[in-house]
Amino acid sequence: MKEFKPLPDQPAPNDTVGPIHWVKDNFFSSAMNTIATLLILALLATVVPPLVDWLLISANWSGTTQDACTKDGACWVFVIAWSKQFFYGSYPTEELWRINLCVLMLIGVIASSQLLNKDWRNKFSIPAFLLLPFVCILILDGSWIGLEYVSTDYWGGFALNVLLAAASIIVAFPLSFVWALGRRSEMPFIKSVSILLIEFFRGVPVLALFFMGSVMLPLFFPEGTNVDKLVRVWIVLTLFMAGYMAEVFRGGFQAVPTGQYEAADSLGLSYWQKTLLIILPQVIKVSMPNILATFVMLFKNTTFLLIIGIFEVLSTTQTALTNSNWLGGHSTEGYLFVAIVFWICCYSMSRISASIERKLDTSHKN
Amino acid sequence: MSEKPQVKSSPSFFNNPRNRSIIYQLLLLFGLGYFFYSIISNTLANMEARGIQSGYDFLFNTAGFDILMSLIPYDATNTYGRTFIVGLLNTVLVSIIGIILSTIVGFIMGVAHFSHNLLIRKLATAYVETFRNIPLLLQIFFWYFAVLAALPSARQSMSLGEVIFLNVRGLYFPGLTPEGGASVVYAAIAAAIIGIFVLKRWAKKRQDDTGQQFPVLWVSLGMLFGLPLLALIVMGFPFAWDIPYLKGFNFRGGVTVIPELMALALALTVYTGAFIAEAVRAGIQAVPHGQTEAARSIGLKEGKIMKLIIVPQAMRVIVPLLNSEYQSLVKNSTLATAIGYPDLFTVFVGTTLNQTGQAIEIVFMTMAVYFVVNMTISFLMNRLNSSVALTER
Repeated sequence: MKEFKPLPDQPAPNDTVGPIHWVKDNFFSSAMNTIATLLILALLATVVPPLVDWLLISANWSGTTQDACTKDGACWVFVIAWSKQFFYGSYPTEELWRINLCVLMLIGVIASSQLLNKDWRNKFSIPAFLLLPFVCILILDGSWIGLEYVSTDYWGGFALNVLLAAASIIVAFPLSFVWALGRRSEMPFIKSVSILLIEFFRGVPVLALFFMGSVMLPLFFPEGTNVDKLVRVWIVLTLFMAGYMAEVFRGGFQAVPTGQYEAADSLGLSYWQKTLLIILPQVIKVSMPNILATFVMLFKNTTFLLIIGIFEVLSTTQTALTNSNWLGGHSTEGYLFVAIVFWICCYSMSRISASIERKLDTSHKN
Repeated sequence: MSEKPQVKSSPSFFNNPRNRSIIYQLLLLFGLGYFFYSIISNTLANMEARGIQSGYDFLFNTAGFDILMSLIPYDATNTYGRTFIVGLLNTVLVSIIGIILSTIVGFIMGVAHFSHNLLIRKLATAYVETFRNIPLLLQIFFWYFAVLAALPSARQSMSLGEVIFLNVRGLYFPGLTPEGGASVVYAAIAAAIIGIFVLKRWAKKRQDDTGQQFPVLWVSLGMLFGLPLLALIVMGFPFAWDIPYLKGFNFRGGVTVIPELMALALALTVYTGAFIAEAVRAGIQAVPHGQTEAARSIGLKEGKIMKLIIVPQAMRVIVPLLNSEYQSLVKNSTLATAIGYPDLFTVFVGTTLNQTGQAIEIVFMTMAVYFVVNMTISFLMNRLNSSVALTER
């Protein structure tokens, strides 16, 4: 019997492979596409060279004062001279190691969660992550642990944005989980209170909440209590974040199959055993991309604190721009720099979120 | 077989879920009650100590400050109540401009993601990834302080055909002053809109009954422009052009768009547009490719496939996302206060609160407004959503 031998594969036709075809397919597939390509290329050709020239080639890099900016391009001297203020605010220079230490600890905790195995991750990384903001606040404040006291008036810059965002999300985590549970509860009063809380903090502009924190909150406390401005902001940010995260968790709860609840019930687990050991891990897993997205939003919103007079990075930039030694109109450079810093942080977080989403997505899409 | 004795389980009082739930809810009720009691008593004590008045009487007092821009007549002798209305209208104005423009930008950029042209695709991605990841306040500052502040002065204005002017003080374009007979033109516009709805119904019914199609779009466009044009000609153009002109150091006449409004609308459009583009992309991606193939195989043209097959299915995903984007746009418009655009927040929570000191009433009123505006958006979008939602058995 003759064995069946398939003929060797024919090579693809010449007009469907190769760089020429790729160019034709992507840029000149139709008359409209050709016009669009040419228009965009013309646009890029007029915009990009002057931009690169302004940003890099004829930009001023060295020097310490405004007078050093002699060339036509961007005056990066401004950004370099103020970079300490941008990142650390007016925190005392000899105490900057505390902020650096906090940043290092943050990097260490994140690295540990990636490197350690599952057991140690649960025993070390998660508690460390939850405790980190409080440890950092102790270190930055100093008076509680025998270091020199630094008043919150001196806290500022980009470090403050990061600290406030991180401290808020970590307290908001358990809070929002409880609210989300309350929203799913079968007890009518608990359910309606939870819905009211969530919808209130989601429905009101965050700026109105900040004003509430700075104008109304002092009225709520007994006379004579003086709550630090940053603490009030922290409370507001936490509640705001909790409202949004509660909705994220609600979605996560809905994604857990009912069989999981029933299986846990049939094993005789109590409500909290079931919720914390069976449901919560699955909820966090499916909600992770959305939690990160919410965190990016919160992080961007920390710039709004400028309006109620907190020295976060944007208000530091404005202070620098109105400094009498730097009145040369450096607003483009200043805002561009802050924008780049934010962009790097937010973009990398959104990439991480997308990669988690891809890992979780086991559906078959075409 | 001996019958097993039925075990009658009677859980103890605390193990009964009904009792427990009542106890928990009572605990919460008492906790909340105590919380509000202490807040209210503290607030009252604090207000008395600081001499802050309460009540809404201040709304009828004279405001005594000017507002940069107002859609209704306003001057410093008007009441605080009127500052509320002025601010509210300005908020609504910037929100509507922002919603319309960001929807247009967002849909164009979202669809551009599926272009056959690599450059267009990359441009859309670059737009979304750039503006989504930069704080909105920063973008507002960038447009206001870096871009619009760099425009030429009034004497060196950029102009388009000597009727539209752009300078550091704002954008000036001609206005129309209605004269006698203008109402006929308005009536013609209204008639055209009603006519289009009727026509659409009739065309759909005819197609359902007979299968014959009717060129609704072209006839509608003809009606929309033709009827008012006819009215204009018949009435002998009952409008006067109010063209801005340079007088001294500034322009007079015409319609002025202040730079604060431009910066805010631009930033809101660009920022929200990036999010809407993502929503549109997600919506189109959610439609299985088989739908396009099936549509092609029954011989629909590419344009019809988009209109009849892809878009209606994509809208199911897009509309709920649009709802939340529009709501966050309205909430984000409060950032106007950072550059001094006189929206509700700047005028009412800013100046009025500073002058009267009645924080609780003012913050409460403002929050209530944003709540109502967002509920309205939500209601409208839910109506839209139920019209595009999948009808299942």
